Amino acid sequence: MNMLTGYIEQTEGEIVIDGYNMLKKPKKAKKEIGYMPEGVPLYTDLTVKEFVTYMAEIKGVDRKLRKEKVQKIIEKTGLNDVQKKLIKNLSRGYKQRVGMAGALVGEPKILILDEPTVGLDPKQITEIRNLIKELGKTHTVILSSHILSEVSQICNKVIIINKGKLVAIDTPENLENKVSNNNSIYVTVEDTENKMKDIKEKIKEIKKLELVEENEDGTKQYMIESKDGVDLRKILFTELAKENITIFEMKKADSTLEDAFMKIIEGGNK
Amino acid sequence: MFAVIKKELKTYFYSPVGYVFIGLFLIMFSIFFYIDVFQYSSTNFEYIFYSGATILTFITPILTMRSIAEERKNGTEQLLLTSPLSITKVVIGKFIAATIIVIITEICTFLYFGILCFFGKPHITTALVTLLGFLLLAISYISFGILASSITENQIIAGVITIGFFILTWFLPQFSDIFTNFSLINMFSKFPSGQIDIADTVTYITFTILCLLLTVIVMQRRKSVR
Repeated sequence: MNMLTGYIEQTEGEIVIDGYNMLKKPKKAKKEIGYMPEGVPLYTDLTVKEFVTYMAEIKGVDRKLRKEKVQKIIEKTGLNDVQKKLIKNLSRGYKQRVGMAGALVGEPKILILDEPTVGLDPKQITEIRNLIKELGKTHTVILSSHILSEVSQICNKVIIINKGKLVAIDTPENLENKVSNNNSIYVTVEDTENKMKDIKEKIKEIKKLELVEENEDGTKQYMIESKDGVDLRKILFTELAKENITIFEMKKADSTLEDAFMKIIEGGNK
Repeated sequence: MFAVIKKELKTYFYSPVGYVFIGLFLIMFSIFFYIDVFQYSSTNFEYIFYSGATILTFITPILTMRSIAEERKNGTEQLLLTSPLSITKVVIGKFIAATIIVIITEICTFLYFGILCFFGKPHITTALVTLLGFLLLAISYISFGILASSITENQIIAGVITIGFFILTWFLPQFSDIFTNFSLINMFSKFPSGQIDIADTVTYITFTILCLLLTVIVMQRRKSVR
């Protein structure tokens, strides 16, 4: 990330940004990038407007258009109400927005955001995510994050890098599907007569039946795995009703990006 | 580059730093002015600047110690280095901003020149030459201060290195004559008598350029070796 933005020089390989080599034409390459570093460093002595204007100046935005563009970006990032406040007096969420505004100014084609939602409360997180989604329509946004649910929510391509090596590059859906076990179902039942064990013999499609946990209210949760390509839910519903077992809850096991991530990383380490 | 100068000047005056520097210098200058003019009843404007150079030796770090060290500590250095701005422009911008503060201080000292006009006839040309010499001394001090600030993340250490170096160059000539030509503050001594010594002027300017160049190299090197 640091190398992409030209903060550190690479030791090997080549960085080409929109056709410009980072080492040979750093000025042009850097102009195409808007970078919000981790931890969002800002000049806290300046007001929001001054900061965004300063960023516009050092990015070489044309003098005549500067005022207008700065105002546009302040409005886009929802900073209109606080633009005259000192940055040090702002809340974390607003600071994040200011950082974003600083990255956005100068209309870079690529936005690089390093952990944009760390340390925010849930409301601020959704706000920032919506902002990123909005920006994704007009810019290429590269986002680094440890929160994988966030990644699967807003990104349409995921790159997993393990110990400096690229291990996976795909859409989040594909990654999830790769590791998913769509054939398992979790059911929570009230089973006073302990008939669940026999169910396995009754329904041929069941491959595996396993008790996951016994809840305090006497219900039990089972994990049922079916043979390939069979949706057991309908059959289970009718069969369990016949056996006088009451179903409290039934859900398909969903695999998340976390599972995919763990599997890929573990696979890479072996 | 102008963006950096503008922003640096803004932060000098939004935070107390700018006022502290100018204020402190003027207070000390006033005291020496009082001693010179009223105790020794001399109406010489230039000689107060010998004391002025001493004051400058101790208060230059106020201006320079935070310039790069703070950027690095807060991580705002990343914003600068990832912007299309070159390192050289950043360093020169910071240097010019600090120099402007010194120039503002020098303009303030004209107040004392005005007071002296009531009591005698001070020479305006020698006064201007003194101010030029003082500015040359100041730019070499500032450039070293910025260099010190670029090698550490801690402002205090940067400040101590700066003062330490100045005091060293000040007292080294007492141990050996060889160092006389390297002493920044000693080189200033000819200016108050109204002479512009080419050798001294060139030394000041080259020292400034050397320090700024080293600062750029330090920052550039940190970028590639990590």
